[in-house]
Amino acid sequence: MSKKVVMTSTGVPVREKPLGLRIWNNRGYYLMFLPVFIFVLLINYWPMLGVRYAFYDYKPVGEPVFVGLKHFQKLFETDAFWNSFTNTLELSIMRLILTNVASIVVSVFLNEMGNLVAKKTLQTLIYLPHFMSWAVVASIFSLLLSPSATGMVNGWLKDLGVIPADQMGIYFLADSKVWRPIFYLINIWKETGWGTIIFLATLSGINPELYEAADIDGATRLQKIRFVTMPALANTIITVLVLNLAKVLNMFEPVFVLYNNAVYDVADVISTYIYRQTFAIALPNYGYSTAVGLFRSLVGGALVILCNWLSKKVRGRGIV
Amino acid sequence: MAKEKVVYKPKKKKIQLFDVVNYIVFIILGLLIMVPIWKVLVDSLNQVGVYQFRLWPEQFTVDGYRVIIETEALYRPFVNSVVTTILGALLGLVLSTLGGYVLAQKTLPGRDLMAYFLLFTMIFSGGMIPEYLVMKNLGLVNSMWILVVKHGINVYNLVLMKNFFENIPESLYEAARIDGCTPAGIFIKIVLPLSKAALASIGLMFAVAVWNDYTNVKIYITDPTQVNFQYKLRNMIMDGDTPTTAYSVSQTTLFNAGIVAAVLPFMALYPFLQKYFVQGVNIGAVKE
Repeated sequence: MSKKVVMTSTGVPVREKPLGLRIWNNRGYYLMFLPVFIFVLLINYWPMLGVRYAFYDYKPVGEPVFVGLKHFQKLFETDAFWNSFTNTLELSIMRLILTNVASIVVSVFLNEMGNLVAKKTLQTLIYLPHFMSWAVVASIFSLLLSPSATGMVNGWLKDLGVIPADQMGIYFLADSKVWRPIFYLINIWKETGWGTIIFLATLSGINPELYEAADIDGATRLQKIRFVTMPALANTIITVLVLNLAKVLNMFEPVFVLYNNAVYDVADVISTYIYRQTFAIALPNYGYSTAVGLFRSLVGGALVILCNWLSKKVRGRGIV
Repeated sequence: MAKEKVVYKPKKKKIQLFDVVNYIVFIILGLLIMVPIWKVLVDSLNQVGVYQFRLWPEQFTVDGYRVIIETEALYRPFVNSVVTTILGALLGLVLSTLGGYVLAQKTLPGRDLMAYFLLFTMIFSGGMIPEYLVMKNLGLVNSMWILVVKHGINVYNLVLMKNFFENIPESLYEAARIDGCTPAGIFIKIVLPLSKAALASIGLMFAVAVWNDYTNVKIYITDPTQVNFQYKLRNMIMDGDTPTTAYSVSQTTLFNAGIVAAVLPFMALYPFLQKYFVQGVNIGAVKE
């Protein structure tokens, strides 16, 4: 056992006690960690053993049969899977970009607002939708966008003469051509406000002298935004993008509550594909859906590691 | 010779075009957020369903809410939501503070190992089917307690608590230790009382997550007595699962009343607790 010399907080160097004794002295801490350990073991680690079914034929009836890489072979040959894979990337990345661009624009201009009461009121207002569940947001917008007589958007379009009054309205959420734009708009509506918090926090930390110096140089408001505000935000923007990039494959609930079988081609993501292969088809092979899940977990894990590395490069600390 | 007086004239703060445009844009933005919310609120109190946006209900009624309070298929999920939210937030707070506190002990032997044990779950997970099988083995399928258990452990929130605890001055721990406090004693007598704001923020994050959960209910629960309100609401509005009722209330009225009920608890708390809601983000992201 090494006899390391350690410094205590009082600055007096003492010989480090042997490891066994240190563990015994800290037993209280280990005991306190025990509930966390048990929960994580049961909820997170136990399921990891189940990924072996990715190599089995596992159906609702009968014993699992080992089939090697059969499911992965099938996976790579299935168009519906690749469709869900590319959709996941496109929907999450577009959503990430669009909501963050909206958040940045809103924060920059909110920061320019002189009236503090107006600013606070607006902040309170735009944070609100974040606390609504996806089930609620989907419900609100399915009512607003409904093609029936009570759908507000279709009603307005008829009033404006865009749709002839005697025709059915547009079924926005079941139309492959408009589903994605609607999906992005709903995401922007829900998350833009909340996204501004982190950018506003950065903006409030900008040294006012920078703006004064720009004033002396005769800069206009827009020039000050361009040359003082935006550069100050650059680091935060990269941070937010990196943190969220790690999660792009996780997309599930926003799509799950808004999609339906008419828009699978543009809306189906990996997780919703897994869900249907497991719970919503006549003869599910759990082995296959586990294989899809394992593929997603592995690629997702690689993304997390990559983003953690990027995060350390960019801001000197990892994702958490 | 009269001396020329130098007077510093502050530049008159005139209203710039920029400000006008800025305010107009933000009024529009505020309206975009408010219109859907206001429409839901008005429609929930209006006897008939109309597509028009109205500032006030034409034929005022609270029958939509009456139906929710008096129909078991609707109030039961609501009660389930309340119960699971409270218990889920409590369990979440207990586990994340315990774990965060232990991991904040910088000299604890094996601390890194414990941290990696937790962090690995952020990189890799079993996936939907293996998780389902485990929950089945634990007897949690078709039970609302699965919401409490699933949300109770959240490594991200645990790390947030750890970061917060690490900011508590080491000297306080040291002093308590010298006074003969046990780790649990320090935790209860010193750490928790100093962390009220963080507890409120993280507790709210847990509560919102449980209350708003739809996915886990959809995956794990088929028994209608065990589902939560979010699930019931979405099924009612988007899958046509409307309960029969004695009231002659229009479907639109009931749907919108349901939406209001589904957001009511947090919307009611929000103005008072906004600080804590916002703080949660900043504990996590802005700490540099």
